[in-house]
Amino acid sequence: MAKKITLPRVAKGKNLVYLDDNSVDNILAMVMTLTQEISVLTDRLDTIENLMAKKGQINTDDINSFEPDNELQEKRSERRKTLLKRVLLPIEKALDSK
Amino acid sequence: MNKQKHSMQPIPSHDEAVRQDFVTDFRAFLTDEIYPKITPYYQSKIEPDFIREHGRKPEDKKEVQNVMLQDSAYQSWSFLQRISQQMMFTSVIDTVERTLDELIKKTKEYSELGTLELDQTIQIPSYLTAYDIHQQPGGYHTENTENDISAGVVYDISLPIYSGDAMGDENDLLAQATINFIKNNIKTIPKKILDMGCYIGNSTLPFARAFPESEVHGIDVAAPGLRYAHARANALNASVHFSQQNAESMSFESNTFDIVTSCLFLHETSHAAIPKIINECARVLKPGGWMIHLDVYPFQRNVVEPLYDFLKDWEVINNNEDFSGALREMDLQGIFEEAGFTKETIEFTSAEASSETNKGYTGDFYLKLPVYVAQKMA
Repeated sequence: MAKKITLPRVAKGKNLVYLDDNSVDNILAMVMTLTQEISVLTDRLDTIENLMAKKGQINTDDINSFEPDNELQEKRSERRKTLLKRVLLPIEKALDSK
Repeated sequence: MNKQKHSMQPIPSHDEAVRQDFVTDFRAFLTDEIYPKITPYYQSKIEPDFIREHGRKPEDKKEVQNVMLQDSAYQSWSFLQRISQQMMFTSVIDTVERTLDELIKKTKEYSELGTLELDQTIQIPSYLTAYDIHQQPGGYHTENTENDISAGVVYDISLPIYSGDAMGDENDLLAQATINFIKNNIKTIPKKILDMGCYIGNSTLPFARAFPESEVHGIDVAAPGLRYAHARANALNASVHFSQQNAESMSFESNTFDIVTSCLFLHETSHAAIPKIINECARVLKPGGWMIHLDVYPFQRNVVEPLYDFLKDWEVINNNEDFSGALREMDLQGIFEEAGFTKETIEFTSAEASSETNKGYTGDFYLKLPVYVAQKMA
């Protein structure tokens, strides 16, 4: 087997601090990645539910080859927006405060 | 899930695909829901606070920056915008890393049309190695394995996420604007066209399609981009000649091209490189040939709007675009004249993608773009 290639995942550049310090920035970054993973799990469950409704038994290949139609894509986008709205509520609130 | 737009793109797994979809929606959320709150927030809170303290409004972008960078609400948006870019890259890198072996093998099948000439002696300019432009990990040039194309693939499949699917199936919206400009204003059928800093050729291919009789060349310093560009062009059935060259000093003979163009290229170079690149444009153009550079940033404006000017610089500071702000301040008119372009033909105007080339474009992002145009003395 060929040696596994690993690609870099961190960009070179200035280390900028946005909030109180780097650890606060890191926590917000981790929160957003967890939010992303919740979204991934929800979509996977959604795929499984859709497949199960059509056929009784499914496997991983069925999940990977599942093509959501436009209607389902939009439904998922809406749900992601709701998720983001919930998670980012404190930040929206701060920008709304007069 | 199949997001593939041509056969040199990888197919993401279910979870990779929906992870990428999340980033698309996250970026849309920031653009549509959060960003519009910043100006009203500034006007109702930041500016009044500043006036209370100083007895006047902020005078320039620097003064706006000083207060905004201390404000946690603004900084929260800014940070989210920055990490949305990082999340975009990590989400697509998973797919590219998993499929890279197969994709590299595939480049051999996709090599018949056009040509690819690599030159291992090319030095990557320091403006590309000092930091990773756009926060793409490893930048555009890094080779992670033999015959690597990974950076090119990452770039190709992140563009739809970056632009919210606004660039079209072939990521060619911007070049369509340049082509419209040539058709409407220059009105010649170019025999030979050169695209500088072409990278994966997404803005080079449209020239081969729009001018099927023309010979189209693309140059770049980054080998992973060029290898991918050549395979990608073949997957899309287009003939382009790609070669690894530095635009500051090219190996083409003088008086070769009818059109020399670039797309989002100049703002990724440097103060020292710009005059050299413009001189090279003049050298390789035939007498009477045209130079057209398309870039995203508006020209220096006479109106002072400190908040606008500050927000326009967001990418400069937060998305590793260090030179793009400085380019706006350069005397390009003078540099063009010095290089041998006819003074009366030098124009800083804009180009638009027309509705007929709008196939599949869903956004209005980037529809009107600055172009820098000049004709070489006949």
